[in-house]
Amino acid sequence: MPGVALLALMLFALEWAVEARLIRRALLPPPSVIGAALWDLLASGDFAAPLLATLWLVFAGFAIGSALGIAAGVAMGWWTGVHRLLEPLVELLRPIPKAALVPALMLFLGIGEAMKITSVALAVFFPVLVNTLQGVRGVDRVMLDAGRTHGWGTAHVLRHIVLPASLPFILAGMRVALGLALVLAVLSEMLSGQGGLGFLILDMQRSFQVRLMYAWLVILAVVGLVLNTLFLIAERRALHWQPANRP
Amino acid sequence: MDFLSLDNIEKSFGAAAVMRGATLGVREGEFMAVLGPSGCGKSTLLQIAAGLMPPSAGSVRIAGRAITRPPPEAVYVFQQYTRSLLPWRNVRDNVAFATEHRLGRHRARTIAEDTLAQVGLAGFGDHFPWQLSGGMQQRVAIARALAAEPAMLLLDEPFSAVDALTRLDLHALFLDIWTRRKLTVMLVTHDVDEAIYLADRIALLTHRPSSISDIFEVDLPRPRDPIATRALPRFLELRRTLLEKLLARPDA
Repeated sequence: MPGVALLALMLFALEWAVEARLIRRALLPPPSVIGAALWDLLASGDFAAPLLATLWLVFAGFAIGSALGIAAGVAMGWWTGVHRLLEPLVELLRPIPKAALVPALMLFLGIGEAMKITSVALAVFFPVLVNTLQGVRGVDRVMLDAGRTHGWGTAHVLRHIVLPASLPFILAGMRVALGLALVLAVLSEMLSGQGGLGFLILDMQRSFQVRLMYAWLVILAVVGLVLNTLFLIAERRALHWQPANRP
Repeated sequence: MDFLSLDNIEKSFGAAAVMRGATLGVREGEFMAVLGPSGCGKSTLLQIAAGLMPPSAGSVRIAGRAITRPPPEAVYVFQQYTRSLLPWRNVRDNVAFATEHRLGRHRARTIAEDTLAQVGLAGFGDHFPWQLSGGMQQRVAIARALAAEPAMLLLDEPFSAVDALTRLDLHALFLDIWTRRKLTVMLVTHDVDEAIYLADRIALLTHRPSSISDIFEVDLPRPRDPIATRALPRFLELRRTLLEKLLARPDA
């Protein structure tokens, strides 16, 4: 609760600072004005379409990037040959800020959904891959031997021992990736100049509708908060067996 | 005819020779204990017998066939139940682990419930391993091995990670199961009392690079009793002989 109190205090301070002309209204309207703009936006229902567009990008890119990252991470963690083959490539591509690849992707895929989802998926892929790889390599030998002594085949071992045992690592990677997914969704919308929250935030700024720009920003902040909270809840459920999550 | 035969097993890890010419036969239905000082490679020998680790040289035969990977006839029971049970599965599904890949989840769960009842864990199927005591978790591990209905069990000090009283309890339970199911057993342990109390024969492993130095017949009557058997003169005599052998310096 002290955190909420601080937040309220800062809002009041901002309000006061703008009223006292310490901050120019044109740059930052007082929170009460932004709040009113936000209220209008919500009441009119105009927020829904852009919000859904952005959420769809995040969801699709996150799902694709995570699935591919997990698959590649398991393959690299399990088969030494695959690791030797792919590691140099991964280490070369991984440090590139994926935002810098968006212009190149626009050359290949245009400015539509395909490009945006690909950008998001690319940003998600690497952290998930690296974490999965680490998780798979750390699976206890004893557990694997338990599978082998009972005659389990590789597919069964991967699905029922390796994947669940690596899940804490995989989910930690996905949590980081979720934040990046939102960043890339907003950025690719800005660069493509169409659709979604990212485009609107930029568009409102350019057309001097600063109040609306901030209103959309608030919506974006809430989206980030909600996504992260939902993910944490899902993560805790999936890992109910871990010592930290036991009742 | 030996059910399990280890013939001239050699094992080295890099330059370090762990096992040099270990030869041992375990008869069908026999309870064989392998006793040795710690670090002598007991677990290594057992893992080689289980097909979990290839020997550097020598051969392993189970039921007449040469073994290069884990055979369906023998199941390995690990020392550390905390590492071999799957923490994300409840007790029932941990036991179903033994057969689900062959029989499907549904049938495997039914077998699991039956087997859990046999080790005194009826009604614990929905618990998770961490909700059980160490002794109960090791019972789950034993139930898992039994659910596969193997002809042979390879036991890697499965009674060593629990307290002394629980250990006696597990001994009684295990002897009972061994008798009823007519299992062939190879147990590695460093506990002399445990080896004498449970086994028909005891094989002694030397220090590294190890081999089998002696084999002792444990000619004690069955069924064995946790108190009376341990007081028999033959028990004490064996105990003395084995301890003398084990405590002797490698080059003495």
